[in-house]
Amino acid sequence: MDEALEREKKEEFDASEVEYVSYGGEHHLPLIMNLVDQELSEPYSIFTYRYFVYLWPQLSFLAFHKGKCVGTVVCKMGDHRNSTFRGYIAMLVVIKPYRGRGIATELVTRSIQVMMESGCEEVTLEAEVTNKGALALYGRLGFIRAKRLFHYYLNGVDAFRLKLLFPQPELHPSLPMMADRDDAQEREDC
Amino acid sequence: MDWKSTEQASMERHAPNHSSSSSIPATENTVWADASPLLETVCKELRDGELIHGDNFNLYAAMSALEIMDPKMDSGIINKYASVDEAIEDGLAPVPISIDKTVDVQCIIDIIDHLLACEATWHKGHSLAQTVFSCAYLVRPERTLSHALLDSYCKVIRATCKAVTTIVSDARTHEEEDLFTMSYGLPLNVEGDEKCLSLLNAVEENISRQLRACKAPLSKRKPLEDIEPLQTNFDLEEGYCKALLCRLRFRKHFCHVLTCMRRPQGRGLELARKHIASCISELGSILNSAEFLMFNAYGTCEDGTEDRTTASGRQAIGFDANLNSRISAPTPPRSIKILSWKKAIKYFENLLHHLDIICSYPLDPSLDALLHFVAQFQKAQPDLVARVHLQLLLVQDGKLYGRYPILAVIIRAARLTEVIMRHDILKNEYFVQLGQIVINMLKILCTNAAWQRRKLGKILQDWRAIYSQLELAFRKESGEGSSISNGENASAGILKHILIWVEEQTYWIAHRFLVLGFELELYSPSEYCMVYWYLSVVLIRLAEKKHLKMTVSDGSAKQKGKKRKDSPKDLAREARIPPAISFLQCQICLAEGLALLLAALRNELIVLQSPSPFNSEHERFLQHFELLQKACIPDLISYPSFKESTSCARISSVVMYNYFKDAQKIAKEVKSSFLNDPDRSAELRILEQVAEHNSVALNVISRAGALDPSLKVSFEFIHHPYFATVVVKRS
Repeated sequence: MDEALEREKKEEFDASEVEYVSYGGEHHLPLIMNLVDQELSEPYSIFTYRYFVYLWPQLSFLAFHKGKCVGTVVCKMGDHRNSTFRGYIAMLVVIKPYRGRGIATELVTRSIQVMMESGCEEVTLEAEVTNKGALALYGRLGFIRAKRLFHYYLNGVDAFRLKLLFPQPELHPSLPMMADRDDAQEREDC
Repeated sequence: MDWKSTEQASMERHAPNHSSSSSIPATENTVWADASPLLETVCKELRDGELIHGDNFNLYAAMSALEIMDPKMDSGIINKYASVDEAIEDGLAPVPISIDKTVDVQCIIDIIDHLLACEATWHKGHSLAQTVFSCAYLVRPERTLSHALLDSYCKVIRATCKAVTTIVSDARTHEEEDLFTMSYGLPLNVEGDEKCLSLLNAVEENISRQLRACKAPLSKRKPLEDIEPLQTNFDLEEGYCKALLCRLRFRKHFCHVLTCMRRPQGRGLELARKHIASCISELGSILNSAEFLMFNAYGTCEDGTEDRTTASGRQAIGFDANLNSRISAPTPPRSIKILSWKKAIKYFENLLHHLDIICSYPLDPSLDALLHFVAQFQKAQPDLVARVHLQLLLVQDGKLYGRYPILAVIIRAARLTEVIMRHDILKNEYFVQLGQIVINMLKILCTNAAWQRRKLGKILQDWRAIYSQLELAFRKESGEGSSISNGENASAGILKHILIWVEEQTYWIAHRFLVLGFELELYSPSEYCMVYWYLSVVLIRLAEKKHLKMTVSDGSAKQKGKKRKDSPKDLAREARIPPAISFLQCQICLAEGLALLLAALRNELIVLQSPSPFNSEHERFLQHFELLQKACIPDLISYPSFKESTSCARISSVVMYNYFKDAQKIAKEVKSSFLNDPDRSAELRILEQVAEHNSVALNVISRAGALDPSLKVSFEFIHHPYFATVVVKRS
């Protein structure tokens, strides 16, 4: 069968056949790189991948079906502007024949779970305004569209900054209030 | 030779003191050594996942690394030409284009058309380097000097680009679109370009004479008038002359539009309108020339005529998309699609239309009128160049339109008399700040909706802060004044007016922040309920403050000693609600109606909402309204108050207190007061429509019964941009 057609053909499988694995080391790196290179248009050097998976291996997951890697999510987390501990979803890919079956949702959910347990206050990412699938996926998980970024992508498409706020523990009234967040002039961030 | 000796031999070659046998000659400061064998060895020894790096290597910084020879990252690998000069040597941009004058003219028209398409593409958000300056003729000005038509046209294009870049830079809100003004390394300041219009005029006159000459009947032609024709094919002379003339004239008038609109204090607006009209007329002629040009196309036409960037359909000579990639960033620019010629003309028609709206604005010193005008203007989503012209007209030298000091505008907006301007209290620091805050708001209102909303949310804190300062000053003034003489109270009176106005303005900004969210599609349907609820709360406060401002000013007018007989008519007029307030009340009813209907649908399980695994509606409420809550707009409003107001909503109660019917009623009553205001009349009609539809829908839902599974209710923005129409379908 023609390779392009092969890629489009929907795969028949049972959800229980999909195996989810946390990033386990160098052997996973080429799998992730191939998937992302294939599906996303952004050019990433190997250092970009290494940055994420070396520093936050616990936040990246891969999905396998019958030994084949069919999806991956790559994330990071850290202090944002020295005040908020925040997770960031950098890449999410599921190959076409496996889409629409909840694999992406499962990958993202696992990563967010780890972020939450690690103390993140919120999770963020950008998505094209035309990417209905991603917007629906993240919407179901509780993300809101916090901002619209005009002409964010170089092809002229706008982006939404999506944000998920985890429930904060109720502050005891006698505790001092948190210092106001720094809202100094920002460019297109936050 | 075995591997080890090869290795040794190559290592010996690399010892610094040895002269290398490499092909690159050594210079005073450098000695080249071939490192390939060394790299090969090292590669064999490195294991998967290992990295050679310097001491201060950091993975984050390494993300900027480029992989050489990867076409996605290495701009050198994909270029056809290493430099502009190489491109020109290769014959990319011949001058003249052809010795056959007809072909030369055809090609020049194609270049003119493609440049227009590039210019529109630039305006729409791409870089100059990849659009207009992908034209090799523009980049080497000295080459075109021998060809009057090409040269003058190139000069005009460069001068126009420079003028527009300057305007956008001056506005300084282009941070939102900073690709626009990037012009490093591009020839925008070529000596001689300032003479472009006179050169263009000379060329235009020549072609006009050529046009007259070819139209004059043979018998009437005098030998003295025999001038060299534009091109060699007599049958086509008229067509080509006309095609060129409208293009040259468009350029000329467009230059004048830009110059006139930049005249300070809006003094050139009327003249600008005349030039705009000429531009639009010439664009029409340009469009009409397409038939002639396509018919006489030389060579083959491009496939996909809808995408063509020239009237003739031919590809223009002298352009290379990557011409400037060496002076841009090291990563290759994303390939962009140049707008089609037809779309480019549409873009300029649109731009001129928006510029015309700006030029027709009567420069009303009333801030209310101005805010309404700007909001209306923005509805059509004008592009950057138009918006920047509006901003530069509105704010010049800290004055409105460069004419009215901002403080005087504020005084007037707060319904104080101009006499107040002499009062000492206005010299206070916080009034200076207030002026700056208002100017900042005006600039923000001219930016694109996405950027605008973010900035409006931010400045709410500034407005809150200035309110607090003014309130403090008010307390001081009214507290200290033990003597109740008019003089002492004047300061307090002024501050009171200003305070009310500042509050009203703050709520106006808050309401704009909320409704822009609809236009930007920031709310998902499951969030509409809380948004409409918050909007209704903000609108109620806005109406309150607006009404207060009006009554306080009427009250103080009375106190100023104007003794008026309180006729029944006067009393009735005072008791009547001002139309502007009724307008707001209509919107309040709609917002409340929608919020409660949405809440009722959820409470009665007609619309199901699956809970999200990671957070609840509380978090989403906090996120959406964070900036408003931070500025206490309004005070004492929180998620619990939202829940309280909506948890008991039921379809039956919504039907009983039918807010939509109220909205309808108000809209009908207040229609007559807005007969002279076409914008507000139009909006009232739409509000009435929405109210009517929603009222009917509400009845359908209530009659169908709460748990009718075949009922499908959705909220669509089919009439109004932010008040949804309720659509009920039976599946």
